[in-house]
This record gives sequence, structure tokens and C-alpha cells, in this order.
Amino acid sequence: MNQKIKNIFVTGAISPAFIGEKIAAHQFKTEIGGHSIFLGQVRADKIENKQVVAVDYTSYEPMAMEQMAAIREMIIEKYSLNCMHVYHSLGKIRSGEICLFVFTSAPHRKAAIEACSETVERLKAELPIWGKEIFEDDSFQWKINQPA
Amino acid sequence: MAVKIQLFGQLKQITGTSGLTTDATDTDGLIKEIAGRFPILENLTYLIAVDRTIIQTNTAIKEGQELALLPPYSGG
Repeated sequence: MNQKIKNIFVTGAISPAFIGEKIAAHQFKTEIGGHSIFLGQVRADKIENKQVVAVDYTSYEPMAMEQMAAIREMIIEKYSLNCMHVYHSLGKIRSGEICLFVFTSAPHRKAAIEACSETVERLKAELPIWGKEIFEDDSFQWKINQPA
Repeated sequence: MAVKIQLFGQLKQITGTSGLTTDATDTDGLIKEIAGRFPILENLTYLIAVDRTIIQTNTAIKEGQELALLPPYSGG
């Protein structure tokens, strides 16, 4: 395998300004006809009367980046994408903040949308990343990913 | 031969360490060793990665390999 290994990790929350800059950077790629964007946001779940105030993300980073490079190469080819960008937060992300940004671009909308959806599902299932849900009183529990 | 093992997520939190060493010569031996050292992990499931690839069957452990114990993922 000779995929280009990209660093997908961002320390802290992903800011709306960062997302805006990434969109703007595609203005000159005029062969693109559609972008699809998925933003994951930390949800203030209530579990046994305690509210989640943040999720603390950690990862086995070298493995996650290798796995993501393989997923990326496969999805770009499958959907003939112009490009794909993935960013995932590490560290403590407060509820309401963005922790995942998946951005796919293709000549037509259907490919961009389906590629984005498949990438989100695959990365949630396959990347070694862990979220620790932190409650108001500083107690915590380990996050469990829902099927969809 | 002592091979280093990295621990992540709740395995790291429960054991209080991010790294161990093992003399086990294969991954089945490693699983037994971990169960003996940390009975508290009995009900936890985890995968083993050897050189950043998940192994599905018993695999020989060789010096210089990168081993990691991975609890269920919860990214995104």
C-alpha cells in the first residue's frame, strides 16, 4: 500500500471558521459540482439524571491514520470523488461543539452524498478512537456508538 | 524477549497504565497473561492489533512488533 497518510486529528473542537475556510478553498476546483458535509456534534445526553457536558477523545493515532488512508483511497475510487477531507477532534470537546468534519466533493451530488455517508459509517466502526463522556459532577462513562 | 503493549481507552483507565510488557510468545498467551494480571478486565472485550492491524486468530509475537489492546471504538 502506498496511500498518502494524512493527519486527520485536530486538538480541541473544530471551529465553524475552519469549516468555512475548507469550503472556500474549493472555489477554484471548478470540476466539482457538489459537496457533501457531515458534522458530528457532541450531544448533551442525559444518563440517569446526569448531563453529559463534554466528550474526551483519545486515539491510537498511527493506526487510525493508516486505517483512514485505506478507507479514503477506497471511497475516492468507488465514487470517483474529486477530493475528500476528514477531521476528528482529540481532547475534551464540550457539548454543542463540533468533533467530526467529513467533506466529500464530486462532479455530481449523488456520489458526494453517498461517499460522505459511507465514510462516516466506516470511520465510526473502524477507527481506533475512544470517547469518554464527562458529566457535570466530573464522573464519566465510556461512550458506546449507536448503529446509526 | 519482552514486547511492549500499548493500552487504550477504558483498558488504560481501568489498569492505570498506558503500557505493559509481555513475555508471551503468541496472542493467546498474551490474553491469558492479561486475564491473570488484571482479573478486573474479565468482562471487557478488546481487540489485539499487531503492527497496527487487527488480528483475528492466534498470532505469534515477535520482538520489535507493535502490540496494542483496543476496547470497542467510539469515535465520531
